[in-house]
Amino acid sequence: MFKLKVSDAKLLRDMAAAIAILVDEATFKIEPEGLKLRAMDPSRVAMIDFEWPKTIFEEYVCEAPSKMCINISELLKLLKRAGKDEAVELSLDDKTGRLQIKITGKYSRNFNMPTLEASEEEVPTPKIAFNIKAKTTTQGLSQAIEDAQLVSDHVRIEADSEKLLLNASGDLMGATITLQKGSDALLDLEAKENSKATFSLSYLSEIIKAASATSDIATLEFSTDMPVRIDFQQTKEGKLTFFLAPRIETE
Amino acid sequence: MDYAVIADAYEKIEATTKRLEMTDLLVDLLKKTPKNVIAKVVYLTQGKLYPDFVGLEIGVAEKLAIKALAKASGRKDIELLQLLSTIGDIGEVAEEVMKKKKQTTFGAQKTLKMLEVYETLDRMANKTGSGAVGSKMAFLAGLLSYASPKEAKFILRTVTGNLRLGIADMTVLDALAIAYGGGKEARELIERAYNISSDLGRVANVVAEKGLAGIKKFQVVVFEPIRPMLAERLSSPEEILEKLGGKCVAEYKYDGERVQAHKKGNEVVLYSRRMESISDQYPDAVELVRNNVNAEEAILEAECVAVDVETGELLPFQELMHRRRKYGVKEAMEQYPVSLFMFDALYVDGKDLTLDAYPLRRTLLEKAVKENDRVKAAKQRKTSSVKELEEFFEEAIEDGCEGLICKSVGADSVYQAGARGWMWIKYKRDYKSEMTDTVDLVVVGAFHGRGKRAGAYGALLLAAYNKEADTFETVTKLGTGFTDDDLKKLPELLREHVVPRKPSRVQSTLAADVWFEPNVVLEVLGAEITLSPIHLCALNSIRKGSGLAIRFPRFTGKYRTDKAAEDATTSAEVVEMYRNQLKQIGAA
Repeated sequence: MFKLKVSDAKLLRDMAAAIAILVDEATFKIEPEGLKLRAMDPSRVAMIDFEWPKTIFEEYVCEAPSKMCINISELLKLLKRAGKDEAVELSLDDKTGRLQIKITGKYSRNFNMPTLEASEEEVPTPKIAFNIKAKTTTQGLSQAIEDAQLVSDHVRIEADSEKLLLNASGDLMGATITLQKGSDALLDLEAKENSKATFSLSYLSEIIKAASATSDIATLEFSTDMPVRIDFQQTKEGKLTFFLAPRIETE
Repeated sequence: MDYAVIADAYEKIEATTKRLEMTDLLVDLLKKTPKNVIAKVVYLTQGKLYPDFVGLEIGVAEKLAIKALAKASGRKDIELLQLLSTIGDIGEVAEEVMKKKKQTTFGAQKTLKMLEVYETLDRMANKTGSGAVGSKMAFLAGLLSYASPKEAKFILRTVTGNLRLGIADMTVLDALAIAYGGGKEARELIERAYNISSDLGRVANVVAEKGLAGIKKFQVVVFEPIRPMLAERLSSPEEILEKLGGKCVAEYKYDGERVQAHKKGNEVVLYSRRMESISDQYPDAVELVRNNVNAEEAILEAECVAVDVETGELLPFQELMHRRRKYGVKEAMEQYPVSLFMFDALYVDGKDLTLDAYPLRRTLLEKAVKENDRVKAAKQRKTSSVKELEEFFEEAIEDGCEGLICKSVGADSVYQAGARGWMWIKYKRDYKSEMTDTVDLVVVGAFHGRGKRAGAYGALLLAAYNKEADTFETVTKLGTGFTDDDLKKLPELLREHVVPRKPSRVQSTLAADVWFEPNVVLEVLGAEITLSPIHLCALNSIRKGSGLAIRFPRFTGKYRTDKAAEDATTSAEVVEMYRNQLKQIGAA
């Protein structure tokens, strides 16, 4: 028996949107304390680590821990039908194995969709000694990424104790974006060692775009040529963290 | 078994043009394959997951494959598309960019196993409906993230349906005989198992696990199509009777589509001549089999013919082709109803009849079929007289048939599954008049058009099939008979078969502008067959250094979609026709 209810559909919609950028078929861990998901995108370039304690839901029922796999983009389509301030209820029908989606507000609609075979694979989070920790506003980081995207499809992120640099070079154009420590965009910066690593901008921008709906502050952690960890501080409780593997710079 | 073992074998097979070498390489691979998964490896080698009659395709469009490759390699889609347009083969593009991967990944690198590749492809093939495209792409990107450049090359070719190793079914059978049958002599037995099941994987599995003893016990099974027996052709009734020992049963050769009907209880499946299920196109024929076949279990052969219900007249093949469609089946069914003319029984209620003589099969067929307006046993006449044969032939033509099939009635007149032999001999109208001889030829190349046809194909290079050498030998350049529609349709039809260079099985001295994997078969009306210094059809068989060519070819408008390239007119048949023609000229 599993059931959850939110009074504002936006919460679930943003969650589904953030997961949908990486995986199609998402396996949730349903536990008495809350909902968890850790998944890698199929090409194993990015990873999402997501946890929602039961306290943020209006109602949350889980009698025994279980797993549930659903096609998240299909669910997202349904959730997008819900207007602002409409309530959504998800419940798993143990008999049919289908997920019921009930949206109530101006009028009520009941959708249902199949659940899929849950993935048995455990995804471990990478253990990395990070040398840089940069606390940015999600807005500021998002702007910087958009700037870089104008000239290239990948970006080199560098940092020392004073600043965070984004270096992008495309076939024709180049860009350097500087975020100074203590500026409006870069709230805090800790550097054990100067570091730099290159990442795919399409992954970065999709991650940040999707996460910015739920978060105002993003903390970046990275080391030279190692994956970056981006933690999006949630406005309510909960955890939304992404990892992204670096690109190889040959040129 | 590591997928790399398979990819290595593919690479070597691809590099050779010699059939014997190809066979040896295949033998090596089959010996390295664990016996319990040999069926899967055999299917994979043919770019498939199941035998054709299952009708399940992996179905990944090039665009989707590019997207998955972009994810796995860290390249942009557009960059890959540009590479694809210069290199022309998605496999080579994959190999190239995976050598210089720009994106690192999480998790340990693992070795791709054959079974994992097979099962992932199988899951992709089974994804349908909303969200299927995304899931397919996810599965593919996942496989690629573990693949070596070489593995990526063959995975992408497999999913896009472009494996093109050029391994013919017969080569696989040779290899199985050598690897598990004790030597090439075992080929005949193994081939029979294949001919009655159309399932190379099952044959491979049985011969590997149970040896020739298992193969000898191989049984006909309902819902596994039997490879059709084929007829030779001759042009004169005298010769036909002589070949058949002075007497035969002459049967109407209906101008329709040959179907093999499988029935078990109420379940009916119709298979085409290429052993693909065509039940969906002929719900009315399925119903006819269900209602008019008395036997509980049966495999029967019939000619499915379009009829004018009002007059009862048989309509030509072109009319029937309106039924070859996926959509609007119901409307087409009402507009172009069909009749079934049953002509053979291969299996009835637990008994395999393929090794019984034809007269007995016919008797059992008549017993199994309840005749009515729409279902009949093929009209036939037993004869030993040339005059009677000619009369019956005229009658068949008048009734809207193509001619006659003359069948042996001897004790040895078994059903030769998958073989073209002299037990059955075609007697068609075309032979009588030397200027109206049609042949079914394979498109192997094309030349760019000029003037009005600029941008389209100006002419097609056509080949006959040399069965002995398993090659396609060019026999003519075809440029007439095309309607504007044909000219528009042809490039679309042929595009998916384009290959960067001359396929190894194609024999040609002409350098076409575009080459195709032999696949599309067209019916062509020729005026005359001549010795040719250019074309390689039946080279040296009439005169040393000369091949045979068809002069003044003209497209009849018939796309022989019911025929595979290997079912095309053979070089040996062209020789036969050439000899006949000479006789006729001499006689005139």
